[in-house]
Amino acid sequence: MGFQGFEFPGVIAVALLGALVARTAAMVFGRHTGWVMSLVPVMLLAALLRRVPAVADSGVVLTSIPWVPSLGVEFSFRLDGFSLLFALLITGIGTLVVIYAGAYFSQKPRDQIGRFLGLIFLFMAAMLGTVLADDLIVMFVFWELTSLTSFMLIGFNSGSAGARKAALQSLLVTGGGGLVLFAGILLIGINLGTFSVTEILARSDELAASSWSGPIVILIMIGAFTKSAQVPFHFWLPNAMEAPTPASAYLHSATMVKLGVFLLARFDQVFAELPAFGTTLVVVGSLTMLVAAFQALRAEGFKAVLAQSTVASLGILVMLIGLNGEIAAVATVGFIVAHAFYKAALFFCAGTAIHATGQTSLRKLGGLSRFLPVTAVAAVLASLSMAGLPPFVGFISKEYLFEAQLTSDWNVVPVVVAVMVNAVMVGVAGVVSIRPFYFGSKRVTEVHHGETPGLLAGPLILASAGILIGLFPDALARTLIGPAASQLYGEPIDVSFALWHGLTPMLALSVLVVTIGVLIAIFWDKIHGGLRHRKLLAEAFGDGGYRWVLGAILGFARRSTRVLQNGDQHRYTAVVVSAVIMGLAIGMLSGATGVSLVPTGGPLRWPLVIVLALSVFGALATITSRSLIASLVSVGVTGFAVAVVFMLNGAPDLALTQFAVETLLVVLLTAILLRLPARRRHSRTSSERQGDALLAFGFAGVMFVAIASMTAAPIDLRLSEYFGQTSYLEAHGRNVVNVILVDYRAIDTLGEIAVVVFATLAVWALLRGAAPARTKG
Amino acid sequence: MNLVYAFAIAAQMGCGIYLLLSRHVVRVVLGILLLSAATNLLIFVSGGLINTAPPVISAGSETLGDQAANPLPQALILTAIVIGFALVAFAAALVLKTYRALGSVFTDHHNAAEAMGSPFVEESSNG
Repeated sequence: MGFQGFEFPGVIAVALLGALVARTAAMVFGRHTGWVMSLVPVMLLAALLRRVPAVADSGVVLTSIPWVPSLGVEFSFRLDGFSLLFALLITGIGTLVVIYAGAYFSQKPRDQIGRFLGLIFLFMAAMLGTVLADDLIVMFVFWELTSLTSFMLIGFNSGSAGARKAALQSLLVTGGGGLVLFAGILLIGINLGTFSVTEILARSDELAASSWSGPIVILIMIGAFTKSAQVPFHFWLPNAMEAPTPASAYLHSATMVKLGVFLLARFDQVFAELPAFGTTLVVVGSLTMLVAAFQALRAEGFKAVLAQSTVASLGILVMLIGLNGEIAAVATVGFIVAHAFYKAALFFCAGTAIHATGQTSLRKLGGLSRFLPVTAVAAVLASLSMAGLPPFVGFISKEYLFEAQLTSDWNVVPVVVAVMVNAVMVGVAGVVSIRPFYFGSKRVTEVHHGETPGLLAGPLILASAGILIGLFPDALARTLIGPAASQLYGEPIDVSFALWHGLTPMLALSVLVVTIGVLIAIFWDKIHGGLRHRKLLAEAFGDGGYRWVLGAILGFARRSTRVLQNGDQHRYTAVVVSAVIMGLAIGMLSGATGVSLVPTGGPLRWPLVIVLALSVFGALATITSRSLIASLVSVGVTGFAVAVVFMLNGAPDLALTQFAVETLLVVLLTAILLRLPARRRHSRTSSERQGDALLAFGFAGVMFVAIASMTAAPIDLRLSEYFGQTSYLEAHGRNVVNVILVDYRAIDTLGEIAVVVFATLAVWALLRGAAPARTKG
Repeated sequence: MNLVYAFAIAAQMGCGIYLLLSRHVVRVVLGILLLSAATNLLIFVSGGLINTAPPVISAGSETLGDQAANPLPQALILTAIVIGFALVAFAAALVLKTYRALGSVFTDHHNAAEAMGSPFVEESSNG
């Protein structure tokens, strides 16, 4: 495929390059870094836009570069309608985020802008990799990279304990979910022998029919639910609002949190035949919507309200994927687009308001339209789209949502949930746009920062796009929404993404939603105040469960540390010895050769038996003797007995060395003992000694069985025979042991000499200069 | 015969472990000594002990005779003995230095680091 094969890796590489140069650019361009660096995502956006006609015509563009061929892992990429839509959102909103972040951080030190933009570009590369990858392993690597960059961005303000805690929470939840997803991916790979999404989609029947389909579905759903903050993993997303607002707009509303939805949509075709798949998605999505809507009414912070409504939107998307039919596919895609536009815009407006006043609580904000007039207009436009009023794109997507529900084979429950939750969204839209900007003008009397072009570009472009798409939906429907929805549905769909559908039941539901929503907005204070007092519900819906699990793990770690690492060397040795005994025993019992206690090795040679008995006697005397000098002599007895065993078995060299070393050691240790206090006491209590004796017996027992089994097994003598055959002919030495040491294994011997030299140096370093002893015991 | 070897080695190792578990540093060093002697013997036994002639090629011959003992474990043990010696010598010097610095040969007195408290106290109080 030539150069073309590198197009998608190239797109990712350019984003990575942006991450690399961001810091330098910030140092050079300072306040204008955002504008300059936004050229990178603009270029990527243009490159991707060039592909739109090809994808709209042919559906899928595949490229591939081998990566780990031995494992069947390829750097393969797949551009279809759905991934193109995501890639365009990532680069398009990414452009606005980069511009906005440059303005947002303009008063901050330059290295902070550089660090932030670097992370944003790294995230952009990771996101592009995730949505473009055709190989699931490659996708997983990028998926985890998005979790990591999310962690870094949430904890960007690393001086704040809350930010650090939220960052850790999101990493534990999404990273843990990532591992679960990885297990699911591996199961798919084992069952189908491929990691390619294209091939998996083609062979979806095979996967659905496999006996592992149940576990695979569950694992992948858990991975998706953690990433997209679905119940019961919904708690991390609102806490992630500790991130700087540009990051919240980008990661935690428009792009990253939709990866779970992306994944579910990818596998929708594969698992569509499993009845539990759709049901689970509808149930989990509906629960998430309800919990998030409730929490949105309770939330106080500007960003917190938006975050809860994002969770609710993700719930809607998950539910939509659970519904079948082509309308549901169109509704999913339409809502992804509409939500990305209005929610990112609202986050930008929230960021500007918080940045200007230093206040995060909605209650303390008011009358900002005097200071931030353009932002206020953008906020109203975006929230009208969020409320689903015509002529905004949000209205169209909501119509589709209701149509998808009414045409599905589900009964009325999801519709009721959707009406309620959408009503809350309308209320939220009214509250976040009108309250801080137009009401309560006494609350804020001055602002620290005004509007700058960088702060306005994002919200204005996104909010106006919301109207433009709403007014002229056809262009977008044919080029993007159609191909994406067809990809999701599995067959080409003729999309009529139109503003006016006529007097339909959906329109009636929309009117109902807006009416309730307006009431919620009007009575916000009463509802909000009433719900804030319900502490029990708050705990049930908050991150109490997460904190309990984390606390239990840390508590377990603390307790086991107290037991295992109590500062007593005796305990440490005992733990190690027990572990070795267990390891040996398990290894022996599960080994292929098994255990045998057959007497082999010829008849008893009595001289040897006597010498061995002497060695055992020496060892026993060492442990029973009350005097250290006597113990030392007893160890010497064992050492000399071993030397005699060497001698009697044709190893005079060994015997000689052992004699020499043993004599040296006895002399050396005696010299040291003379410098130590002679008084001796039991260092262990009698119960400790009993326990230690038990451990020693256990170790000896395991060793006895191991040695007996080992000696009963046949020996492989090939190496010894080789040395015996070649020692004289090739190395010209008659003493084979010596030849092995100085010729065949000369490097080992050199290492041995080095050990002795280092030990000598260490001893010299330890003992130079005689320090006077402090006597204590 | 193999069971006799197995018993002797196991008994020495058991005694070595018992000494290793002591809180008296000299007895720990003696335990290391016993364990390394027993381990050398174990390597020796693992080579098979049927033939007892030293592994030396006799004057008229060019290859090692059938009666010769297995040379490979012998070569390994020669290395092991020397390294074991270096280890024990270093441990003995450490014992002496420890006594000079801390004034005690009992490991339960060597707790200057533990006396400083846990490095994680701050973390654990935060939850």
